[in-house]
Amino acid sequence: MYSTKYIKPNSTSEALEAIKSMGEGKFLAGGMTLIPTLKQRLASPDGLVDISGCDLDSISDEVDAIKIGAMTKHASVGESGLVKKAIPALAKLADGIGDRQVRNRGTLGGSVANNDPSACYPSAVLALKAIVHTNTRSIEADEFFTGMFETLLEENEIIEAISFSKPAKANYVKFPNPASRYAMVGVFVAQFNDGVRVAVTGAGEGGVFRHAEMEAALSSNYNADALSALEISSEGLISDLHASPEYRANLIKEMTKRAVV
Amino acid sequence: MEIKDSYELPLPKERVWAALNDEQFLKKSIPWCEKLERRSETELAAEVKLKIGPMSTRFTGNITLSDIDPPNGYTITGSGKGGIAGAASGSARVKLIEDKDTLSTTLSYEVSAQVKGKIAQLGSRLIQSTAKKLSKNFFGSFVKQLEDMDKS
Repeated sequence: MYSTKYIKPNSTSEALEAIKSMGEGKFLAGGMTLIPTLKQRLASPDGLVDISGCDLDSISDEVDAIKIGAMTKHASVGESGLVKKAIPALAKLADGIGDRQVRNRGTLGGSVANNDPSACYPSAVLALKAIVHTNTRSIEADEFFTGMFETLLEENEIIEAISFSKPAKANYVKFPNPASRYAMVGVFVAQFNDGVRVAVTGAGEGGVFRHAEMEAALSSNYNADALSALEISSEGLISDLHASPEYRANLIKEMTKRAVV
Repeated sequence: MEIKDSYELPLPKERVWAALNDEQFLKKSIPWCEKLERRSETELAAEVKLKIGPMSTRFTGNITLSDIDPPNGYTITGSGKGGIAGAASGSARVKLIEDKDTLSTTLSYEVSAQVKGKIAQLGSRLIQSTAKKLSKNFFGSFVKQLEDMDKS
């Protein structure tokens, strides 16, 4: 048996105090990635600070945006009347993550802070011009994701909530891995008054990214036919046992076509 | 799995070759390298703390230099054990080609990497991307150090 320290504070300021008292502590959100990693002994932090008691799980309507607390579970986002009404694509995305068990434990903030290159949520954050609110600042989506498993978050910085802009129209379509339901390729398309944003997850070696060519094509003509002539480059796309970069490039186009309805 | 890339440096080949054999240069270039000690002409002992996403594992191992062909290139091989997490190894064939007219050097590399144990089971979908990223980090910071030194 291995032992580790576990603390469950009641506020983010207490959580910050707690993590500073540890040499190498880790924040625990839903634990859908961290706990399996600990079980496999692929990480051995001095302690865990569980932030599920910090009151970070509310969903509110901010006129132009929907603000979702970082500890809101995928199932709650999928069920939320507010989200379904304002951004149905976001509810659909949350409903398609993992399986029922994962959706009842996994959280928005946990997924976004981890920035797994195949996770669904980062694509919504990027496509919906989201603002990531932390305990110290507010970060725009375009700046937030910096690479595979990397974000602008500093050590001991906690995501408190994320505001997703309400689009005129949006959709998320993914080609899930049949076992894990992770996106082999997932595309979030969002139409705003000033243009269309297309964010691709599951495909890029540097994690989630925006596809400039498809954004330009769809901004001038919001129709799947507008994509027909585009050649999607396989440069910089993930190659693994599930799919080659060329296969993923083809999926990017196909998923985007399906998302534009 | 094969990873290839190249960089052009505004420096003569001998300078780049000297840096490739300087452990201080190598230490600063190896991502998350905490310790690097020369054991012999061709062997160095290393300690690296690799952090990728939720994983954080300390590897201890060796770096060996082989196929040494001064000042045209060598093969640098690193292999390490990460305790219960498994083992990882990677080698890079480094070649230097000088352009006599501009006195610049092209550094090209070809990397191959293997992982074993739990890291391999859990991280299989990420190994290629990770190896690519680490190679880019290594050669990127190696080249940057050389350029910075050249400026100062």
